[in-house]
Amino acid sequence: MKIAISADGPNLKAQVGHRFGTSPYLIIVDVASGDIEAVPNPGASGQRGAGMQAVVLCISRDVKAVLTGYCSPAAQKQLRANGIEVLTSLNGTVGEALEKYSKGELRTSARVKPIKGKAIVARGALIHAIRSSAKQFTTLLPVLVGVVLVLGLFNAFASRDFLTSIFSGNPVLDTLWGACFGSIFAGNPINSYIIGGELLKYGVSLFAVTAFVVTWVTVGLVQLPAEIAALGRRFALIRNAISFILSIPIALLTVLILNLIGGAP
Amino acid sequence: MAIFPVAMLAVYGILFLVMPDKASMALKSSGTVFLNMLVPLCLVFVLMILINLFLKPAQIVKFLGRGAGIKGILLPAAAGIISTGPIYAWYPLLRDLKGKGAANSPIAIFLYNRAVKPFLLPVMIAYFGWVYVVILTVLMVLGSITVGYSLDVLTRKEDG
Repeated sequence: MKIAISADGPNLKAQVGHRFGTSPYLIIVDVASGDIEAVPNPGASGQRGAGMQAVVLCISRDVKAVLTGYCSPAAQKQLRANGIEVLTSLNGTVGEALEKYSKGELRTSARVKPIKGKAIVARGALIHAIRSSAKQFTTLLPVLVGVVLVLGLFNAFASRDFLTSIFSGNPVLDTLWGACFGSIFAGNPINSYIIGGELLKYGVSLFAVTAFVVTWVTVGLVQLPAEIAALGRRFALIRNAISFILSIPIALLTVLILNLIGGAP
Repeated sequence: MAIFPVAMLAVYGILFLVMPDKASMALKSSGTVFLNMLVPLCLVFVLMILINLFLKPAQIVKFLGRGAGIKGILLPAAAGIISTGPIYAWYPLLRDLKGKGAANSPIAIFLYNRAVKPFLLPVMIAYFGWVYVVILTVLMVLGSITVGYSLDVLTRKEDG
């Protein structure tokens, strides 16, 4: 069984961390084997959501009890809901807290019993789940409306003739253009197949059409604001950048393998 | 975030003054896109309620968290392939999962595998041939793992 002790330092001589969410370390102890691991607390930065980051770490490490000075009610609720015991109001060194826990000296006032047993879907829980989901939606809805309006503009102004006029016949440049246009446009992938098929008829290379089809779904400049709002700026920008870059080798490999096998359309 | 849709409405307003025909076409197209989005959005909303009710963060972390192993690849890959509707209808659910402990890698794998659409394969085969479709599909699935792994490495510092 593992327990986690919030700590100001990475060893047993460190003081017990006053706050679970923002203490510099979480000392994870396997009570059975005696193994000790000092893990940097992901919530130590103290930014918003710090407590939840520490909670997620404890859950992922299969911790069964948390020992700390203070744990916020929200974090306690999440820990208890996942069957993790929470013991607060601790001070002294980590080693002293561990010894007290091992001797059962903490089984009185500081102990908060975990909630056990099967969850019953009460009406209150259902209402809370609906409210929570609705809140997520309403937060993102304005951005989604903006994205839909942009798509309308693209559908109105971009035409197949416009696209075919851009491709010059240079395979390298056309592949890049294909990736660029696929990144800008969005919508049902079936549209990319139709447009791609037309581009092939006009003599655009299969490299370009493949890059176009790939980036149509995997890269989304139009929906980037929505992705940033939902998943964070760093995630959205890096994911789209990697997907764009990857479309080039995927396009090259697809066509090269196809030509090797002899199955070109 | 309200600035973006307000700006778009302003663009439409200007467009209606200078090019009313195109503006009407664009607005009509937006309406169609939005209507097509409604059913997947409803599905996503129901899924979010179910996840909030029955899935504990521990389970999400176990299957989609950092260190989930092969489960963290296969599960989101399968989910991405079978998911329907436009991607922006799924953003609220993905945000919810991320908030509950899902790592960046499975989310990226899900998003990338949305390019693989089994029910659209007949159309794709009709335009490009089945050999092309098989090669591209395999490379896309492998590509999704590359994207997921790269994102995991590049955003590791952010997650601590």
